[in-house]
Amino acid sequence: MDSKLIKEQEIKRNINNAFRSAEVTVVRRRRISVRFRAGILPAFISYLKEYMGFVHLVMISCVDWLEDNQFELVYHLWSYEEHIHAMIKIRLDRDNAQIKSLSSLWPHAETYEREIHEMFGVDFEGHPGLTDLILEDWSDLPPMRRDFDTRAFVAETFEWRKGREDAQDVRQTISARYGETIPEFKKDK
Amino acid sequence: MAALLTKEKETTLYLGPQHPGITGNMMVELKLTGDTIQRAKTHVGYLHRAFEKLMEERLWMQCFPIVCRICVPEPDPNEENLARAIEEIEGREVPERAQYIRVLMLELARITAYLMWMGGQSGSMGLYTMPQWSIGDRDYILDLFEELTGGRVYHMYIWAGGVRRDLPVGFKDRVRKVMDYIESRLVDYDRLLFENAIFLKRAQGIGIIDKEKALEWGVVGPPLRGCGIAHDVRKDEPYEVYDQLDFELITHEGNDVYSRAMVRRKEIEQSIHIIRQVLDKMPSGPIHNPGPNPLKWKVPAGDAYVRTESARGEFGYYVVSDGSLKPRRVHVRGPAYVHGIALLEHLLQGANVADVSFIMNSLGTCPPEIER
Amino acid sequence: MSIKGTLLPFSALKFLGKKPHTVRYPYQKKKTAERYRGFHYNDIEECIGCGTCATICQNEAIDMIQIEGIEAKKGDSGLRPRVDNGRCCWCGLCVEMCPTGSLSLTDQYLHTSSDPESYLLVPGVDHPEFAEHLSFVKDDEVRLLDLARVPMKELDPQERVKSFAEVVVGYMQEEARREATRCIDCGICVTACPDHMHIPEYIGAIADADDELALKYIYDNNPMPEMCGKVCTRQCETVCAIGHLGEPIAIRWLKRYATEQFPDPAAVLNPTIAPANGKKVGIVGAGPAGLSAGYYLALRGFDVTIYEALPKAGGMTFAGIPKYRFPMDSLDKQIGYMEKIGVKIKYNTRVGKDITFQEIRKNNDATFIGIGFHVPYKLGISGEDLQNSIQAIEFLRTINLGGNVYVGKKAVVIGGGNVAIDAARVARRLGAEVTILYRRRVQDMPADWEEIEAAEDEGVEIIPQGIPLEIIGEDGKVKAVKYGMAEMVPDPRGGRPRPKLIEGNEHIMETDTIIGAIGQEADYSFLPEDLKEELKIERGRVVVNEFKQTSIPDVFAGGDNVNRTMDAISAIADGVKAVEGITHYLMDE
Repeated sequence: MDSKLIKEQEIKRNINNAFRSAEVTVVRRRRISVRFRAGILPAFISYLKEYMGFVHLVMISCVDWLEDNQFELVYHLWSYEEHIHAMIKIRLDRDNAQIKSLSSLWPHAETYEREIHEMFGVDFEGHPGLTDLILEDWSDLPPMRRDFDTRAFVAETFEWRKGREDAQDVRQTISARYGETIPEFKKDK
Repeated sequence: MAALLTKEKETTLYLGPQHPGITGNMMVELKLTGDTIQRAKTHVGYLHRAFEKLMEERLWMQCFPIVCRICVPEPDPNEENLARAIEEIEGREVPERAQYIRVLMLELARITAYLMWMGGQSGSMGLYTMPQWSIGDRDYILDLFEELTGGRVYHMYIWAGGVRRDLPVGFKDRVRKVMDYIESRLVDYDRLLFENAIFLKRAQGIGIIDKEKALEWGVVGPPLRGCGIAHDVRKDEPYEVYDQLDFELITHEGNDVYSRAMVRRKEIEQSIHIIRQVLDKMPSGPIHNPGPNPLKWKVPAGDAYVRTESARGEFGYYVVSDGSLKPRRVHVRGPAYVHGIALLEHLLQGANVADVSFIMNSLGTCPPEIER
Repeated sequence: MSIKGTLLPFSALKFLGKKPHTVRYPYQKKKTAERYRGFHYNDIEECIGCGTCATICQNEAIDMIQIEGIEAKKGDSGLRPRVDNGRCCWCGLCVEMCPTGSLSLTDQYLHTSSDPESYLLVPGVDHPEFAEHLSFVKDDEVRLLDLARVPMKELDPQERVKSFAEVVVGYMQEEARREATRCIDCGICVTACPDHMHIPEYIGAIADADDELALKYIYDNNPMPEMCGKVCTRQCETVCAIGHLGEPIAIRWLKRYATEQFPDPAAVLNPTIAPANGKKVGIVGAGPAGLSAGYYLALRGFDVTIYEALPKAGGMTFAGIPKYRFPMDSLDKQIGYMEKIGVKIKYNTRVGKDITFQEIRKNNDATFIGIGFHVPYKLGISGEDLQNSIQAIEFLRTINLGGNVYVGKKAVVIGGGNVAIDAARVARRLGAEVTILYRRRVQDMPADWEEIEAAEDEGVEIIPQGIPLEIIGEDGKVKAVKYGMAEMVPDPRGGRPRPKLIEGNEHIMETDTIIGAIGQEADYSFLPEDLKEELKIERGRVVVNEFKQTSIPDVFAGGDNVNRTMDAISAIADGVKAVEGITHYLMDE
């Protein structure tokens, strides 16, 4: 197994030589994952693009880790030369989610950043225009945030069809029929 | 007269959201002088169904019937990607027969997508016989899908651990028959479209992608191979059993609508070739490696990015699990997200209004996968 | 522009003369593929209303509703699915998940109407003719539900007959989680549990790796779960939804697992005991019924005293159940916990002898009778009084109290219930060759099938359809048993088939002991004469109302001497119910 990961290990070494603070993990063959800090991201990414062959910006993902009060931005890069996929993971403070835009490196980064801005509320410094992409006149919480309640939104926005009010919950029907009172305990976990 | 033309004022044209030849709705805002496009801007948002958000509210198993809707003409890469991403996080093995069946599905889907594209590409230049033919022929493959999966367009067939049903008796023969038929039709397609003088005139030299910048702009799939650059996920990062199948990458020089069309045209043959190999090589054995009860199925915490070569290029899923019953995040990368916005806006600069749909089609623009 | 490229497209003209292959005139409805996913069909009789289809439906298109003509019963919620075909996407996950296999998709797909109501279909009720059109049905090869139970490890039969060591090993943590994960949380099991324990909730907690929560759910209405986890008759498992196509969830073993995780239940439960309310309750018999009543009464602030004739509490679960099924430590742990929260048990106190029933009634505000069935039925054949002709119930009690009983080299047990199997397996452990003689067929035996199998594994021989006719003695001791073979004839009253002796087919089997195990009854001799009149007893059972109140308002009763199911969990259920009755009787003015 290890012998097959020579290329991956070499990239890890190279990255660490250039950026000591990058936490590089070889996930598996053709996958490396890098934890990095937001501050000098453009320099790091541009190093990967210009010197390490990660030319292809696959996409930029955002994951809301509400319980940590953080957003995680994941920059997916692909090296056509080495056939290796790198995931660059950056954690941002949810209350002050700001990071530098990569739109000067890749034209389509602009689109991804626009979407993340409107869906999560992350601010991209230096972006040419963080205008609406998919949404229109949206004033609510950015909807892809975990604390945006889809059900509540649907209940407010749409009308439920009539004629299904007689639906019953099986478990409750059974417990009512047999006089069983299901206690409510506070879950520890 | 000449003086008038040079002083022409810039006008704005909102093209769309209905378009000839593409599935789904999107609008391009064009700044024109005469019928020459100075600047273009893509506006999406007509098809946003928030599938990614909906999946966060659903059990893992319940995500499978959703993802196929992300792309109507070719839903299967979605199912395959979601399944494979989960399998990677879980470390779940997929039986070899199931992997072969998945490749069969993906390649059949590729042909249907190309047939659909042929209809759209021809339709956008006013050649309406082609869509009637190709959509009609596509139905023969949909018949196969119906027989195998129970559904014609949305198959909901590939799921974590394998596939849902084994091949019915005699199915392989029927696949071969349909493949022979499609192959025999290629001559007709060539005569009507690919060798058609009007098509050549319209397609050559139109929508030129700068070859030097293609990789950097995130061009993938037939548009990339239409720049003579040989990259294909099936070869770059083989998934399922593609590394056990024999096929050569198809490229075409020219960087234009025509070269992209020719890549697709030849890839129909390539897919037929792959499908025949799959039918020959498919081993017997189980088709599903079951996981836990779907109502209590927790995928271990972790993340995975997986990619498939769809008919439009690299289709990818980034799946994040926090170890609970529902996904933390499913992020879908459709190739049209890049092709249909940044790249299209770029290619339309200087193009003629009449070529907008034509170029859009050649890039495989698919609004439902942009918005998800 | 090339000439060739201009002319070639015209070759399409040749299709003008060809027959189209898509449109047929006159119109023919398309023949769908064999697996086509169209409208639903539900076999209403097979369906148990578990609601799994509604749970898995990612469109929330399925409602569970009441249907005319479908009654809720044991193992059936009485509800049936109704599909909103305006929401359904025909993914068929409901079919894949249906634990009974009653739900299918059909090849029917046409419906158009401007009336939204018409899209609400109850499969199987609306369009019953779809039964002839089944198309996408469950697949035996590919399943989403896990139908195979995580196997329970047991001691090797050869080893276990050498001692009274516990036979069942119990689940390890990982095994329990895996088994609990199979559960679909439908709650159908609750319909069959006499005590209506919160089964889906505690199994869910085990699956979620929260064993403490599981224990809390379990103790909510069962104070002797460790005993139930080992020896319950588990009627829940007989109706388990998963059991329709596969092996039911091991509900009993999961309960056992949860209780075994905690040496001191009090530490986890940390029960709140209500302040003393000044009311006293006296309980006759420290069996499951009396203990359950006592435990929950004590939690509610009642002053509870239980009178027990034996030196240990547990009733039949102590005296009747062999230790290889229910070890003494487990029992001690549970009784210890009850005493800890304030239940007083007076041991070696036989009511009617050491204290009169009237005295208990006088000293308490309410009384509960949970005396059980401890007096065996006689076989009613000659030779029954010979030496070494014994009764299973007394045999088991003596052994459990640490005494000795002679079984000799060969013992014949008569009967087919759990007591008979227990006696047979105990006799095996005492070194005897054992034969069970049973009037009916093996499948008719009321004993738990797992117990029957375990007995056979341990070398117990079963002679079904054998009716004992006479016990033959020599020197006043048992020498042999004469029995006749029977054939099964239909019961004229429509009951289960009855055994009928076959003339002339008689056998004699030599044996050292005969152990009778054909049933027990209650001993009401402790009741004073006047009360015997006043207390309504029918066919050996005290008559009670819903709250286990007898014909004497301050006297309540429960357990084997009240219910017909005659098992520990029914006794516990009686005790729990009586707590409601007693509270109501004493506290509501």
